[in-house]
Formats: sequence, structure tokens, C-alpha cells
Amino acid sequence: MKRIWLLFLLLVLIAADVFLGSVRLPFADVWDALMGSNPEAFVYKIVWNFRIPKMLTALLAGMALSVCGVQMQTLFRNPLADPYVLGISSGAGLGVAFFVMGASVFPILSTHPWLSHLGTAAFAWMGALAVMLMVAAASKRLKSNMGLLILGIMIGSAGSALISLLQYLSDAPALKQYVLWTMGSFSNVTGRRLVIMAALCLAGLLISIRNIKDLNVFLMGQSYAESLGLSTSRIRNRVFLATTLLAGSVTAFCGPIGFIGIAVPHLCRMIFGNANHRVLLPASALMGACLMLVADILSQMPGSQSVLPVNTVAALLGIPVILYVILKNKAVAL
Amino acid sequence: MNALLDIQNLAVGYTKREPLFQHIHARLDAGTVVGLLGPNGIGKSTLLKTLAGILPPLEGDISASFTSPVRQPTQETHSNTSAFVPSQPPRAAHFSVWDTVSTGRYRYTNWLGIDDQEGKQQVGKALEQTGTLHLAQRDGSELSDGEFHRVAIARALVQNTPLLLLDEPTAFLDIANKRIVAQLLHTLARKEEKAILFSTHDLALAMEYCDLFWIMTPERTLHTGTPQQLQEDGTIDKLYQT
Repeated sequence: MKRIWLLFLLLVLIAADVFLGSVRLPFADVWDALMGSNPEAFVYKIVWNFRIPKMLTALLAGMALSVCGVQMQTLFRNPLADPYVLGISSGAGLGVAFFVMGASVFPILSTHPWLSHLGTAAFAWMGALAVMLMVAAASKRLKSNMGLLILGIMIGSAGSALISLLQYLSDAPALKQYVLWTMGSFSNVTGRRLVIMAALCLAGLLISIRNIKDLNVFLMGQSYAESLGLSTSRIRNRVFLATTLLAGSVTAFCGPIGFIGIAVPHLCRMIFGNANHRVLLPASALMGACLMLVADILSQMPGSQSVLPVNTVAALLGIPVILYVILKNKAVAL
Repeated sequence: MNALLDIQNLAVGYTKREPLFQHIHARLDAGTVVGLLGPNGIGKSTLLKTLAGILPPLEGDISASFTSPVRQPTQETHSNTSAFVPSQPPRAAHFSVWDTVSTGRYRYTNWLGIDDQEGKQQVGKALEQTGTLHLAQRDGSELSDGEFHRVAIARALVQNTPLLLLDEPTAFLDIANKRIVAQLLHTLARKEEKAILFSTHDLALAMEYCDLFWIMTPERTLHTGTPQQLQEDGTIDKLYQT
């Protein structure tokens, strides 16, 4: 029953995200645009070229980050693990920093025709992938998940240090471009970029569904899972692949969006009272999409001309949940 | 009687350079309860984990009579052979007892982990055998240690393996729960022809419920025999000398 309510809430928020925005549009005009009448009208263009792609991006980002969060928290049996715990955000950030701010150090980035056309998303994705490949290679040698967690944090810190170095060496316009990317936005994902992001996220979600059975066993501990014949490296690699596709793509196209990935799984455990991944994973996907749509609606500040960074709004929504989880000890347990 | 598990010259530990215990020769027969005794740190848990396939053997052979003998058994082979219950089975919050036990059906369920009707009946039967059926819908993390140990044994039972390996199943339990668990293991060996190997420090309980002892001595030798034999030859006395 709760899942049906959540689905209903999602539909309401999808509609709200399309009907509300920083440009105030009459309800009837938006409805006409949705029905396909008058394709040349200003409202039609806003709805189909801006609001619907932005809504779909928020939907995908919320689902992707929450589903990643569930898998990371189970894999590491750590309630404070999130999609970025293995340094994927730093990897993506380093890729973008390299593209945006590295031109002063490596001029080939701005002069080479192929490299200069790749764009921030491609560099972010390559950075995220490079980090995940490093972690996956190291995981072959590390049996303990705790060791892997520390390695991820170290890689993340190394990435942040290199970003700081590039920031120090870059000029003001490049620095501003990078800072804007870190604030997160759904507005730039339209057309072909949205299709690519949706395809990558769909692949990641399908792998995550395939992980459900193994994650339920992993929840009972690594030793128990191994005694059942489950290979730790196999499930790790499948979770890493799903995370790279999901969190890597979201970060590449929308920037690093924190707190949703860590908060949503806890929220779902509290509401549904069920940590079975057959319930938790789809519930987190729906809840993540809902929260991200709320963040997107609020970031547009409906009716006003200004737009807030979506990362900031997501953090303001996610932080109270994390604080509640920490203060209410029972919910911290996995 | 054919040995269910035949162990020849086994060495266990974490590095080949420094094995914890070596030259282990032993056999396990169906329908018997074997108590694994020895001081702390001697390698009881390591031996159990090696037999369960969680740790690889450093040397030697472990062969099972119902599968082809394997020199370096894989995890897959072990999961068909033995079910392992750790000393403090990890629990998950918001995960029901029924779901906890159902994870033991890993090899038999579909790709989403959903079991068929027969599998569900087996889960119900295991909960009934361990006296935990009334807890089926409870959150596993809210149970007492004694209750959850019985749930962990039920989870091992639904794996349908001929061998049960338990690491200190009676530790942290009160006297009543110790006896319930020990009696349950004894019944499973007798009625279901399971071979049961469990480690313990509770000599009195082991004397009462075990058919055989494996004693790992500080001199790094494994003594096997009935409790009476090992008491008469002084092995037990030596083990508990202060």
C-alpha cells in the first residue's frame, strides 16, 4: 500500500515539476503544450525543450543515486556509505577540472579539435571510470571490504588534492566554470545528452536489479555469503559496474549531487520497515526520484526569476534525514 | 561406515609461511556430533572456516564421499557440502526472521531470490525444528542471542547440506539456551543423519552431547576419539591444566 502511495506522490511531483518553474506559465497553456497543440508557441518550447527534459533528468538522477546508495551501504555494511564513497565524485570532478582548468597547464586540451569537443560530461565520465577501474583492480588484492572503503576514501582525497592544485594554477573564468559545475544542474541535459544519460542509467538499474539476490545474502555478512558459494569479487564488481554507470553518469551530466544517495535508503528503511532488497531497492528508486523532483521544483523557486543550485537544495533536504538517522540509533543499523 | 568427510594432512591458517595448525588427519561420519575443543587462538575457527570453504586450505586434502574428491575445493563445492554457522551471526535491521532463513536457500532460488512452494515449506519446517516458527515475522535484530542462534541454525538447515559446521554455537547463551541448542544438534544428527562439527569451551555440555571429540592441543597435534577415550588417556586433563 505504501508503495502505491509513493507511486502516486511521484506522479504528482512529475506533474508539478512540469507545471511549475521560474517562468510563470498559465496551467491551460502548459496543458495545451503537453497535448501537442501549437508547436510554434513559446510555452510549447519551454515545456518540451526545457521542463520535460529537466524533469526526466531529475527523475533519473534521483533513482540512480538512491539505488547506488542502497548497494554501497549493503556492500560495506556501513550506514553512512553513499554513491561517492569510493571516490567516484572526486574522479568525475578531476576529469572536469582537467578539462576546464587544465588548459593553462596542458594547452592541447583547448587546441586539439577532438579533445576540445568532448565536453565536461565526457571528461567527468572518464574520470569516474578511471577511479572505479583503480578500485576494482585494488579489490582483487583486498579481501576486506573495510580496506576497500579506506582505499576509496584515499583515492577521493588524492583526487580532491589534484583538483585544488588545478584550481590554484587556473585563471578566474575557468575557476568559475568549474565551481558552477560542482553546484549541480539539470538544465543542461537535453536532446542527445539526455538519451545517453538515460541509456547508461537504465543499464545501471538493470544490473542493480540483478544484484538484489546477492545483496540480501551480503546483508548477513561477507563470511556467510562466501560460505554459500557467493563470490565476493563477483558481487563487488557488479556493484562497481552499476555504480559507475549510475553515479558516474549522473555526476558527469548534472554535477556532484550529494546527500540523496545516503539519505533515501534510510528514509525507506524507516518508512517501509523492510531491508529486503526486493522491497528496498524499488522503494528507494521511487523515493529518490520524489526527493530529487522536490529539490528541482524548489531550486527553480517557482514564480521568481532566480534559480538555486540543485546540489544546495538536495543537501538541505538530505541533511535533516541523515541527522535523524544518526540521532535515532536503531535506524543506523544495517 | 563410509566417511562423509575425509581430511588428510590438512594445514590451516592465513599464510603458508606460518600455518596455525597442520598435519590434520580426521574423518567425519554421517549421524555423528563431534565437539571441537582447544584453547583460545589454537585455530578452531580457522579450521571450521577452512572446512566451510571460507578460507582456502594451505595444504592437504579434504574429500567428501558424495562429491568427487577435490584437492583445492572451490567455494561452490563447499556450499553443496557444508553449512556454516559463525559464533556471532551478523544480523540485519528491518530484515525478518523468515527472510533471514530464506537466504540459506540461495542455491535453489530464482535470479531474484524468490523460492518455489517446496522451498517455502522447507523454510517453515526448519523454523519449526528450531522452535522459532512463532518468530518468523519478527525483525531478526530484535531477537535475543539464543533465539537468533536457533534462527542461524534454521538458516543452515535449509541449505540441505549433509554437514553442519558451527563455531561456538553455545557461547553467550544462558544455561537453558545452551542445552536447547545442544539438544537440537543431537536430534539433527540422529534424525536427519547430519554430520555435525561444533567448537566449544563448554566441556560438560560437550561430554553430554558429543559422540566424538577433536581436541587441538597447545603442542599443535589433533587428538580424536570418544569423550571417554580422551578422558582416560589424559588428553582432556592436559588440555585444561592450568
